[in-house]
Amino acid sequence: MKKVSSLSQLGFADDIHRTLFRPIQQSAAPSPTQRRTKISVIGAGNVGMAIAQTILTQDLTDELALVDAKPDKLQGEMLDLQHAAAFLPRTRILASPDYAVTANSDICIITAGARQIPGETRLNLLQRNLALFKEIVPPLARYSPGTLLLVVSNPVDVLTYIAWKLSGFPPNRVIGSGTNLDSSRFRFLLADHLEVNAQDVQAYMVGEHGDSSVALWSSMSVGGVPILSQLTNDKAVVEQGVLEKIRKAVVESAYEVIRLKGYTSWAIGYSVANLARSLLRDQHSIHPVSLLAKGFYGIPDDREVFLSLPAQLGRSGILSVANIHLSDEEAARLRRSANTLWELQQKLDL
Amino acid sequence: MKKVSSLSELGLANDVHHALFRPIQEAAPPSPTKRHTKISVVGAGNVGMAIAQTILTQHLADELALVDAKPDMLRGEMLDLQHAAAFLPHTKILASPDYSVTAGSDICIITAGARQLPGETRLSLLQRNLALFKQIVPPVAKYSPGTLLLVVSNPVDVLTYIAWKLSGFPPNRVIGSGTNLDSSRFKFLLAEHLEVNAQDVQAYMVGEHGDSSVALWSSISVGGVPILSQLTKDKAAMEQGVLERIRKAVVESAYEVIRLKGYTSWAIGYSVANLARSLLRDQHRIHPVSLLAKGFYGIPEDHEVFLSLPAQLGRSGVLSVANIQLSEEEAARLRRSADTLWELQRQLEI
Repeated sequence: MKKVSSLSQLGFADDIHRTLFRPIQQSAAPSPTQRRTKISVIGAGNVGMAIAQTILTQDLTDELALVDAKPDKLQGEMLDLQHAAAFLPRTRILASPDYAVTANSDICIITAGARQIPGETRLNLLQRNLALFKEIVPPLARYSPGTLLLVVSNPVDVLTYIAWKLSGFPPNRVIGSGTNLDSSRFRFLLADHLEVNAQDVQAYMVGEHGDSSVALWSSMSVGGVPILSQLTNDKAVVEQGVLEKIRKAVVESAYEVIRLKGYTSWAIGYSVANLARSLLRDQHSIHPVSLLAKGFYGIPDDREVFLSLPAQLGRSGILSVANIHLSDEEAARLRRSANTLWELQQKLDL
Repeated sequence: MKKVSSLSELGLANDVHHALFRPIQEAAPPSPTKRHTKISVVGAGNVGMAIAQTILTQHLADELALVDAKPDMLRGEMLDLQHAAAFLPHTKILASPDYSVTAGSDICIITAGARQLPGETRLSLLQRNLALFKQIVPPVAKYSPGTLLLVVSNPVDVLTYIAWKLSGFPPNRVIGSGTNLDSSRFKFLLAEHLEVNAQDVQAYMVGEHGDSSVALWSSISVGGVPILSQLTKDKAAMEQGVLERIRKAVVESAYEVIRLKGYTSWAIGYSVANLARSLLRDQHRIHPVSLLAKGFYGIPEDHEVFLSLPAQLGRSGVLSVANIQLSEEEAARLRRSADTLWELQRQLEI
């Protein structure tokens, strides 16, 4: 196999490896059970690159492929990662505007998407993103027919539904990043107030990743101990609708970061790398992610909507949906979330 | 101690922590030997944030402070990191345009700097950065008199000299990121060609971080075995000046990334986090970094220049300079690098 490296192009001989290293005689081919893990990231913008770089730093994969429509930017990002080779475990990094580079991926992460133009309706934004996903999803599915699809682009719930339809994959293999990050922001706020580690706070946001998200106050706990009654001991909290203010603050916090620095990147990078680790390493841990929600929590069986529910993740994707007890209000809000998304989906020309 | 969290501002009671957790009776205060490591990053642009985020992911510090002149962007970046709390080890993240936020740092990393305007002379760029460093370095030194200063802003060698002068620190505590990254790019190119892990390639670039950098070809090795003779067995390679073309390619590769994606960030992020780890954890590892080079490798005692040499790093900063055998040409190039920098420094008005 003729090797082409940058140094060959500058004039170094190709056969130096053989003079430095002697191969083992009669060595067997690699065992078929020996797998090289591969993750592809579609979209080399701020979000895609934060995800790629976090995956690299956390040594989650043997091979990382990047795809973007802008070839120069893509090449620059690839080189910037490759130049860190002396500081990282050896990961093969590839990049191309051609989807062939994603072949045989274990996970394909889609971050590409049109941004909302001021004054644009959600439906209009969705139609534009639908057109983009029609270019992205079919080749991804073709080059990696067994892959897990992880959708990050917004509005994530409907785009995950679109990715599912366009890929033809079974629903357990199509997942949206959903409220995984919202839940982290929720836990950060609570942990900061309660002076504990955020990882000891259990607090889910579910439903739509957006204005109609649902905060599961009734199942919030710290170190395994339910704490809602502690928080609402203070009548003022109940009377002044403090809990709803907090939920809105979580929803707002993404917009706040966008207003301040122009976009968000780091937190979503960690959030998606966290999902990738649970999936690839078959962790069976529970994450609130966007999945096909029909039949769960009272959502009708004929409503093919994707929205976030707490789900167990593993190597084959979504393994199951956790059965958390919801208050009547939480259940009602979740069904309203589902209706909103269903109405929106009906208007699309898929 | 009155706690002010975002949720207090939204109406939650301040004393919920006491209701959830019981303190240990008669607990002793923390041992004076117990250290809380703190790293400050000055400049929240692409480079500063890549460094901050890598330090966070690699869990190198208990506390991370960010400083920038643009308060909105700074706050947005801080929030974006804090929102990942559920996915990261507990690190306190602070941000302020006021340098008091850096107090008590173990390492202060300076990434702030004016960018070169098209057609601007190096001297002019340096004068502008000197003015900026006069605002940055004295307060940093005041708030953390025992800190290690790590300069990343370019042109790094002269700016590290300037930081040394302005801080009044002993020279072992003032370090420039220098050719640490150039050496990684050099190793990446060689490793890719030789089909080995970049971490098994020993290959230093020293001297100026820039056009007059020096590639130490005579001491490159793979797995501990010197390989220059293997590489240059091919007379054609020697005659066509292949080695010099490769050195230039390394120098060029930063400009290539800038041309393609607009700036570099990821590689320098990993490079500086790597230095931070060696320093904080007292690793006694050898890195090519910019340091006060007078008296080493034939550089005259009266030439107070900073340039990169392979140095041992530890908790107190630069511990020693490695004594590598240079070829005559390498030694001559290094002295020329030193002269270039010395001439430039003399024209500055510090």
